[in-house]
Amino acid sequence: MNFITLALKNLVRRRGRTGLTLLGVAIAITLLFSLLSFNVGYEKQLSGELESTGIHMLAVPKGCPYEAASLIIHGGVIPKYLSNSDVAEAKKIEGVEIASPMLLHQFYKDEKPHIVYGINIEDMKRLKPYWTVEGRFFSHTEDTVMVIGRNLAEKENLKVGDVVPFGPDKIPFTVVGILERTGTQDDEFHFLPLEVAQRTFGKPDQITTIAIRVDDISRMSEIANQLETIPDVQVVTMTQIMGTIMNLVGSAQTLLISVIIIAIIISAVGIMNTLLMSVNERTREFGMMKALGASGLDIGKLVVIETLLITTSGGILGLLVSIASTSLIEGFVKGIIPYSPAGRLMSPEPRLIGLCLLFSICIGFVCALYPAIKSSRLTPMEAIRGDLE
Amino acid sequence: MIDELIVAKNLTKIYHRGSEDIYALKNASFAITEGEFAAIVGPSGSGKTTLLNLLGCLDTPTRGSLRLNGREISGLKEHALVRLRRENIGFVFQQFLLLPTLTVRENIALPLLFSKKNGGNGKVDEVIRLIGLDARAEHLPNQLSGGEMQRVAIGRALITNPRIILADEPTGNLDSVTARAIFDLFQDLNGQGLTLLVVTHNVELAKMAHKIICLADGEIVQPKS
Repeated sequence: MNFITLALKNLVRRRGRTGLTLLGVAIAITLLFSLLSFNVGYEKQLSGELESTGIHMLAVPKGCPYEAASLIIHGGVIPKYLSNSDVAEAKKIEGVEIASPMLLHQFYKDEKPHIVYGINIEDMKRLKPYWTVEGRFFSHTEDTVMVIGRNLAEKENLKVGDVVPFGPDKIPFTVVGILERTGTQDDEFHFLPLEVAQRTFGKPDQITTIAIRVDDISRMSEIANQLETIPDVQVVTMTQIMGTIMNLVGSAQTLLISVIIIAIIISAVGIMNTLLMSVNERTREFGMMKALGASGLDIGKLVVIETLLITTSGGILGLLVSIASTSLIEGFVKGIIPYSPAGRLMSPEPRLIGLCLLFSICIGFVCALYPAIKSSRLTPMEAIRGDLE
Repeated sequence: MIDELIVAKNLTKIYHRGSEDIYALKNASFAITEGEFAAIVGPSGSGKTTLLNLLGCLDTPTRGSLRLNGREISGLKEHALVRLRRENIGFVFQQFLLLPTLTVRENIALPLLFSKKNGGNGKVDEVIRLIGLDARAEHLPNQLSGGEMQRVAIGRALITNPRIILADEPTGNLDSVTARAIFDLFQDLNGQGLTLLVVTHNVELAKMAHKIICLADGEIVQPKS
């Protein structure tokens, strides 16, 4: 027999209490691991999504705040515009590989928002080389044609070749292509030739943003400064956009973190309370052990091992529950954060598993400390006989 | 020369309760020789537990001297007391204090866990045979009678080969027939040279002792050899 066997046998003796304490730890670790996985997964997903745009920075109208730039990248519309001359100026700057004008427009159909991108298709093919299409892409000389995202096609039950009334004048447009699923926001959008979009929505020569790709990323800052010399142009880099979105998400995260901290505190207080109760109930047992040769350290060690067995098992259970219910937790989190990128938001990485296990062990140590010291200081015969003679 | 295993001189233990000093033991002096059977008797509150604490190296005296196997325990640090206890003392309690989830065998082997000695199954089996519980070795305490539980407790006290057994009211929870069997077991052990100190209210058990230490209000009032 060793201390671990002895500790296990004692925990089994108090099954109900052990189970409930373990459950408390498991809930706290489930929440902690889910939040950490979400944090890592969200940032990774968002970063991946921004990278998938193939764009290094956006030239937007001056006065357009970062939040608005963030909206643009995800299909939002702002009431300020650049012009074709701004695009021409941007293209002249050395180091600008692509300067692709875009018009964004939003309209509602059956009370659901639809996003329209007016684009230069040749630029987009270079910015998003991973785009493949069922049917075909349109050319910039074509009229009343569109390519749509896969999710949109499924939602609207549209097929290649379908003709749909489109725009404020309900002009019949032909769906010439449907994008193969990209796993990004592009799956939700309508794409039209830029000039067609400008005409359809009554915004001739108006451009919402210029998507810029540079030929050397290390020169981004220098090129951004040059772009900002164009009157009415402000540059927002993808890093800034990501920071803005992360800030938006930050408030929701603060709420989640608060809930988790409270859960962990409740769990820790619960464990300590259970341990103290257990120590008080077992004064005679510990007194007997001391009389039989156990040192204070032996008794403390037994209490710590019992606690660690509970918290580590609780930690493992919490991790399993969290990993098993990833989809459920993702659905919940997506409902409360302001913006969520497409794809999996949770990233249960091994280092996070290790971190949470370590955390559950640390909780065990912290909670066991006081009860272990208390139990190790028992005076054996007083404990055994109940009072002093 | 008589081998004195325990020598107490003017042994005093004072507990402090607020500003009040409580004399749990006052100037107790006595000696126990190797192989002796001594009974400690006295009413509740007379200082029996305090004396047992001191003799068992669970506490140190406030004043006076207590030598165990030639070693003075006054002023010893906790770790030295633990070592003395492990090497010399076996405890038997009135309430048996067996761990309910451990079998007879595991309960008996428990002190080996603390003494870091590997007694091995041979030693445990030997003790189980000695206490006459061969057929009950794998049973749990709730499957045993009171007498059997006390035998397990005695076996547990014997497993580390102590020089002294301190028994605190060992027959207090047993009927007279079972108590008699436990007396016999104690006598057998004493016959094998083991030193026994038994706190008891049982007159019959006290009569079997070579020496009676009678306590009243913390003082030895009627030492009898």
